[in-house]
Amino acid sequence: MNSFMKKHKPLITKLIFIVVFLSIWEYVSIGNKLGPKTEIILPSLGAIGKAFVKNFVQGYAGQSLWIYIGNSMWILLVGLFIGILLAFVFSGLSIINETFRYIYDFMVSIFDLLPGIALLPVVIIIFGIRVEVIIFLVVHSVLWPMSRNILDGFSSIPRIFIEAGKNINLRGLDLVLSIYLPAAATHIISGLKSGWARAWRGLISAEMIFGIASSPGLGLYINQMRTNLNNAEMYATLLVIIIVGAFVQYGILQPIENHTIRKWGMVR
Amino acid sequence: MKDNLVLRVNNLSKEFTNNNETNEVIKDLSLSVEENTFTCILGPSGCGKTTLLRCIAGFEDYAGEIFVDDVLCKEPGIDRIMVFQDFNQLFPWKTVIGNIKFALKKNGVTDASEQEKIAKEMLEKTHLSGFEDYYPHQLSGGMKQRVAIAKALALKPRIILMDEPFAALDAMTRTELQNEVLKIFEENNITFIFITHNIQEAIMLGDRIIVLGLGGEVLIDEENHIQKPVTPASNGYGDLWKKLHDSLYLAKR
Repeated sequence: MNSFMKKHKPLITKLIFIVVFLSIWEYVSIGNKLGPKTEIILPSLGAIGKAFVKNFVQGYAGQSLWIYIGNSMWILLVGLFIGILLAFVFSGLSIINETFRYIYDFMVSIFDLLPGIALLPVVIIIFGIRVEVIIFLVVHSVLWPMSRNILDGFSSIPRIFIEAGKNINLRGLDLVLSIYLPAAATHIISGLKSGWARAWRGLISAEMIFGIASSPGLGLYINQMRTNLNNAEMYATLLVIIIVGAFVQYGILQPIENHTIRKWGMVR
Repeated sequence: MKDNLVLRVNNLSKEFTNNNETNEVIKDLSLSVEENTFTCILGPSGCGKTTLLRCIAGFEDYAGEIFVDDVLCKEPGIDRIMVFQDFNQLFPWKTVIGNIKFALKKNGVTDASEQEKIAKEMLEKTHLSGFEDYYPHQLSGGMKQRVAIAKALALKPRIILMDEPFAALDAMTRTELQNEVLKIFEENNITFIFITHNIQEAIMLGDRIIVLGLGGEVLIDEENHIQKPVTPASNGYGDLWKKLHDSLYLAKR
């Protein structure tokens, strides 16, 4: 038993934390500890549970929450795909061409600091209120941090890998694909992590600011719950956002890390 | 001039500029190396021996000319494979055999079974059978250097350039690897150029020993006739050791 405790200590600690947290929540909620508005501020766990199911069964405006999740994930995937692809292409070109590197490095430094939401008015003027606007924001959120990480990764590759690569006759694109990319894998993966997190946050924010009728997403849903004071539903939707985030972190990013840099001994 | 020269270095000069200060590491160095010989280059730190090797490998820009088999070399290529001192010269994202197969694949050996066959043969030569599927981070320093040597052999280079490959190993492993390199040299038609600052290592391995002074000045360049395997008890060892030692310390002054 003792060794079991020791082995699973991280998991057990987290579980205890969650149980304690929920107990306090329920205690405050049921006992109306925050005054008469308690039910609105902290709905009981039972109410949130019911709302969670209701979100999926009944949904909002005749559509189940699944539809909203699907729309958001679709936009996210398209945006991530374009953003990551562009980050690789542009960073790769920076290795091959020096002039391009100076320009691109400069662009990354500028745009990395520009919040996507701040671009929203400009983008709406250009595209109109369409789903492309949100895709554009997702691309913007992922492209720059990803590029920054790839470029930093490239510049911190030990010289010996590049020389060993040149020694076996690798040049140009071949050198980038076979040496630069895997050698910078640690940076690339941390770029993926921060890029995806920014994209996810940017997506939800953009959807909250303006929902698109043709493609309503999670952000729109939670905002509607807020306007209608469906607070239990709002919390239940927050839970969904957390679950989706955890799924990407543990179901996708973690396995990628385990099968690459961890297996190669590039991180402990 | 002998006609079986594999390497000719003509009037090589190399300078590094650092904070507006120019440091001429190699000044007008010329030397040539015969085919299938083992040349050891000794020298104090900063004499430019590593720089010389890096110029030959094609990793540096320089003034002068370097010919391999009468072909002018400016770029790195598989006719000159470098074995570095750094243990981390293998690609960590590839297994032991993957490192070798990849180098073969990129150099015309497209058939996978042929890659496998050559790689296995070279790993056997370097006593690494059974470690094919290990990743580099799972190997000891000595084993990593063996893989690097196996990879170099697999590519059938004209010259293997070794830059103090055993300097960071413990004494026992070093002796073991020295003997293996010697055996590989005797069994294969490959020219070795081996940089070291260890006099004993130079006498053990080299059939020609060059001592470089500051600025890459050739202080000693002579054949080593001591019968192999060389031990400190070998005939002539003491005299040669003293001669090399004296010139090294003179060079350092």
